[in-house]
Amino acid sequence: MSESPVKLAWEPQIQPEHGALTALLLADARLPIGGHTRSGSLEPALAAGVDDIPGFINLHLRTVVRTDAGTAVVARRHALAGLPLEPVLDAWRARTPSAALRADAEIVGAALVRLASRLWQLVPLPANPPGALVLGAIAAATGIDAADIARVVAYDAVQTITSAALKLRPGDPLEVAGWTLAAFPAIASVVSASADIVTPDQIPARSAPHLESYAEAHTTTTRRLFRA
Amino acid sequence: MPENHCAPTRRAMRLGIAGPVGTGKSSLIMMICRELAHDIAIGVVTNDIYTDEDARMIRAAGVLDPARVLAVETGACPHTAIRDDITANAMACERLEAQHGPLDVILVESGGDNLTATFSPALVDVQIFLIDVAGGGDVARKGGPGIERADLLVVNKTDLGPHVGVDVPMMYADALAARQGGPVIALSRNDFRAVAELRGWVLDQHAAYIQGRLEPADPGPMAAHRHGPGEPEHAHAGGRHGHTH
Ligand SMILES: Nc1nc2c(ncn2[C@@H]2O[C@H](COP(=O)(O)OP(=O)(O)O)[C@@H](O)[C@H]2O)c(=O)[nH]1
Ligand SMILES: [Mg+2]
Repeated sequence: MSESPVKLAWEPQIQPEHGALTALLLADARLPIGGHTRSGSLEPALAAGVDDIPGFINLHLRTVVRTDAGTAVVARRHALAGLPLEPVLDAWRARTPSAALRADAEIVGAALVRLASRLWQLVPLPANPPGALVLGAIAAATGIDAADIARVVAYDAVQTITSAALKLRPGDPLEVAGWTLAAFPAIASVVSASADIVTPDQIPARSAPHLESYAEAHTTTTRRLFRA
Repeated sequence: MPENHCAPTRRAMRLGIAGPVGTGKSSLIMMICRELAHDIAIGVVTNDIYTDEDARMIRAAGVLDPARVLAVETGACPHTAIRDDITANAMACERLEAQHGPLDVILVESGGDNLTATFSPALVDVQIFLIDVAGGGDVARKGGPGIERADLLVVNKTDLGPHVGVDVPMMYADALAARQGGPVIALSRNDFRAVAELRGWVLDQHAAYIQGRLEPADPGPMAAHRHGPGEPEHAHAGGRHGHTH
């Protein structure tokens, strides 16, 4: 962990020796949190005529993922320092203007809380936390460092899109794995931009009007394979 | 809910309904609601593959408060959603109970993947597998985890037998044989006796559930097998393994 030890208001179950493994667990698509029900808005984007899926991945990494990764990192710091998570939640909400994206993130958050309540003991969380905030709290409880949890957020965003792509626009899966590889530099940028964020007001706010409109449009369609 | 209804101290019994597309799962749910909604508090979760049509159809049937019917999207993985990763369905059940509880029974309709898809015992307490006469008279004999080992097999649309050239009594006998005596109901929505039988079966399961006598059992994927030339053929359900493999 990068910061000096802080006096904890609450005793987390930190297993720093297994932090990296826990990060792998959280990044694994087989984790039972309903990952297969989500497309990262790829389904509505394709319906709206988007063609360039690697470009769509990049759009995520430059916009909403910045906010989510920053949120996870700050939530982790707050949890470790015994600070309340409400200001982190408020900052995330203010930076996530699409109600559809917020609702989707809250479903992921609920699934992660469901998982975490069985596996770990988290600090008290605010009501309806998004996935990014819960990931931060899990990172604090399990010894995942700031860079690793930011990496998990970014990697999961990419793989949510690529695995949905294989369902929606099936092509050679080896090529799709190549898209993930091609996204590595952008993922690394997310990590380096997020790892040292300390306070909620430092969480990035990048607007993504296209992404937001796809997500919103998806909530009113009656034919969809994915929840979001 | 009737006045004499006791608020359940446990969560609602979850009844899974699986079987291929078009065999009558949504119809069965509407039938159960019509038959039982005055006696027990029911919620419904549907797993439509490509639309929320099933949920809308069940809501429109007027047999249940429409708010008690939730649709879950499965990301083109209807099999996963009832078996390997039950998160979306479990959360939908939890939400129904939080918003409309206490409920007695939640009916969960699978996306109708295929003959091999059955519910994980982690999601449902008891499950029905549906096949129908129109799907062919040999389906019951061919078997599969749901046909052989679901808690109840329903052979639906018996009224169609003469129209599709299927010998219904023979198909029923094949089903009984495939299940080694496990319960089978030959159903048609026009057959009042069979509908009453189904109603009784659901109430019996619920009574057993309340009394803690209902143990969720996994119908698959393990097929019936023998351990040696002289050994009898048997199957495993619900992780009730009497021996090691
Ligand atoms: N003839 C006949 N048709 C039925 C019966 N039950 C359902 N169906 C019809 O079978 C079709 C498929 O039913 P549905 O409930 O949507 O099947 P699901 O895909 O398994 O949910 C519909 O047209 C129903 O009206 C029955 O008992 N007899
Ligand atoms: Mg249906």
